[in-house]
This record gives sequence, structure tokens and C-alpha cells, in this order.
Amino acid sequence: MQLNVAFHYRGLLYSTYVLYNQPMHWSDITISSLRSHSIFHATYVPDAINWNILSKLENDADFKVIPATREEEAIGIAAGIYAGGQKSAMFMQSSGFGNTVNALAQLLVAYRIPVPLFIGMRGGLGEFNEVQVPSARPIPAILETLNIQYYAPLNEQDVEQYVNGAIELSYASRMPVAILWYSQLVGAKRATS
Amino acid sequence: MLRRDGLKIIQEQITNEPVIANLGPSTFDLHSSGDRDANLYTWGAMGLVSSIGLGVAISAPQTKVIVTDGDGSLLMNLGSLATIARQSPKNLIHIVWDNQMWYETGGQATHTSTGTSLAGIAKASGIKNVLEVSTAEEFKTALTMALNNEGPWFIHAAVEELNEKRNRPEVMVEENLLRFRRVFLG
Repeated sequence: MQLNVAFHYRGLLYSTYVLYNQPMHWSDITISSLRSHSIFHATYVPDAINWNILSKLENDADFKVIPATREEEAIGIAAGIYAGGQKSAMFMQSSGFGNTVNALAQLLVAYRIPVPLFIGMRGGLGEFNEVQVPSARPIPAILETLNIQYYAPLNEQDVEQYVNGAIELSYASRMPVAILWYSQLVGAKRATS
Repeated sequence: MLRRDGLKIIQEQITNEPVIANLGPSTFDLHSSGDRDANLYTWGAMGLVSSIGLGVAISAPQTKVIVTDGDGSLLMNLGSLATIARQSPKNLIHIVWDNQMWYETGGQATHTSTGTSLAGIAKASGIKNVLEVSTAEEFKTALTMALNNEGPWFIHAAVEELNEKRNRPEVMVEENLLRFRRVFLG
């Protein structure tokens, strides 16, 4: 929460914001969760929602961030990082999810490779781009059918529990687990002219 | 040259280095050239073997990592060459056995049979060291160079395909992954 404070000092008007009980931003909660689970590699195809996390990881020397040209490629790299003894998370937008289905099924699920998947969900409340809707809408059903569990924190208070829980679940079950970022939490993208 | 000649040369030149094989004849031939914990066989997710190898190379920078790919598979994931160039892992050796066909589905001719150059695409993607070989002798020289110098390396090896019955090795994928990963956990 923030409080606007204005005051006079030696004839000048000063205005400032005082922050109190400031909850951590969902992106910072996620980064802290990645760190506490020793996940220091991130593969991605860009997404404006996940960029809240990735832009901070790129400027953090503890993390190695690897952009891919296509979502299935990012899944392959993430699988290799796990096979080579480390851990990684994968980030994508809902519009690219369809590109990952074969890699999820024949690599992560078949080989039982745990990778937390962070999916920026377009196509929900406040969406302006109609083509985002039919690609995002079936994602929960596809994940369900692939036997991949998914969770969607809709407010900031739930983010820590959901993200920590999903990461722990992923490694305990040796399966990918998805976190879906919906606009209720992250805001809807506005159409630009 | 035959793929199995190349694999024999690889086995002779390496000790504990990981080898990740593409689905199809690459995986069958790697297994029959000698099963070991540091072999990872892929049976699906066609096209992704170079991405998996890149991940292993990033994850385990202390060891050389060998990927054996195929022409049909690499054609499915050409973006991987750009990503490898961008990451430029010094320890990655990406070998492509090019038989100019999709062997497992009946030997249909791939695009390399009509002039597409995977080595040319690798070079244009920005991969520093690109070699093209067509005999076992040349392959041996190329591999020695790649094992002893900083990469990433891309070795295009033109191979003749043998039409023979290959037996599926009895290695379950889950078990394969776990034993491969243990090599790096020490």
C-alpha cells in the first residue's frame, strides 16, 4: 500500500509516497522461490507477463537466462540442464504453448523430467486480441490430459504458496508442473495503436 | 563412411564424456557401439537432441558434451543452431550424421538430398567452428580437433545408410535419464 504525503519545509512544498506493509510483487516472490530451490537456469521464449521475472533474472549474476527461438526448443534445453545435473525453469506465453505439446509428452513426461513451467496467460479477462482466446482457453484441459498438474494464483497473497508448492511438487513427482499467470493477478495487456 | 565407423572413433577418443543420441538409427547405433551410463538415448521429441545437448553443455561446463544428430531431425529445429551460436558453449560438439533421408519412416529423401547445406546454415547461424567430413579418416581428424580445442563445434558427416534390422535396446527411458544424470552428480 502507498500513502501520498505532502509537507512544507522552508517555504517549499514537498510531496512523497510512503510505502507501508508493501507486499512483494509476484515476480519477486517467484524469483525468491526459484533461488530457495536452487533453480538458477531459466529458458524462455519472450512473453510480456513473464518478462517481469526474466528481466530481473537477466540482471542477477546468480541466474543464467537462455532465450530460445521456439517453445519446444526451450523445453529441450531445460530437459538437458536437468539431465546434466542442474535445475531449470521454463517460461512462455500461452500462444506458444501449442508448440510444446510433443516435447512435454515425449521428453518431460516420458522421461519424468521435472521442470516448473511458467505460462503467461493471454485470452482471459480484459483480452483485446481475439486470436489469443482459442489458444489459451484449452491449455488447462491439455495439461490435464497430459497428466501435468497446474496452478493459477489469482492474487498476490497466494503466489508464494502456489509457486513454492508447484516447484516442490515438480521435483517430488519428477514431472513438469505449470503455474499459469492470469490477468486477475498480472493485469491485462492493453491494445496499442 | 558409416555411422558406426564414426561412433567407433568417438568411443576410442573419449573416456567419461556424455554422448546424447538422436532418435532413430543414431540411438540404435550408439547403443550397439557400447552402452554406458554417460549415453543418453532419445526415442521421441524429434528435433530436440541438439537443444538437450545444449542444456547438458550449459549444465556441465567442465566436460565436453557430444551430440549426434540427424539431418531430418536438425531440419525440424534449425533455430537451435542460432541458439547454440548465441550461447556459444565452449564444450559442445554437435555432430550430424547426414544420410539424406528420413530412415525410420521409409527412407524418404530429406532436403539435404536436394542441396540444402546444414554446415552452411550452421556457419550462417554464427557457430564458430564448422567442419564437413565424408570419410572416417576425416571424421577422426575433426573429432580430435573438437575434443582438444574450444567450441562450440559443428561437424557435418555425410554417411551411407545400411538397411538392416536393429534391435531396440532394453534401456527404459526413465532409468536412462536417472543414470545419465548421476554421472554429473558425482
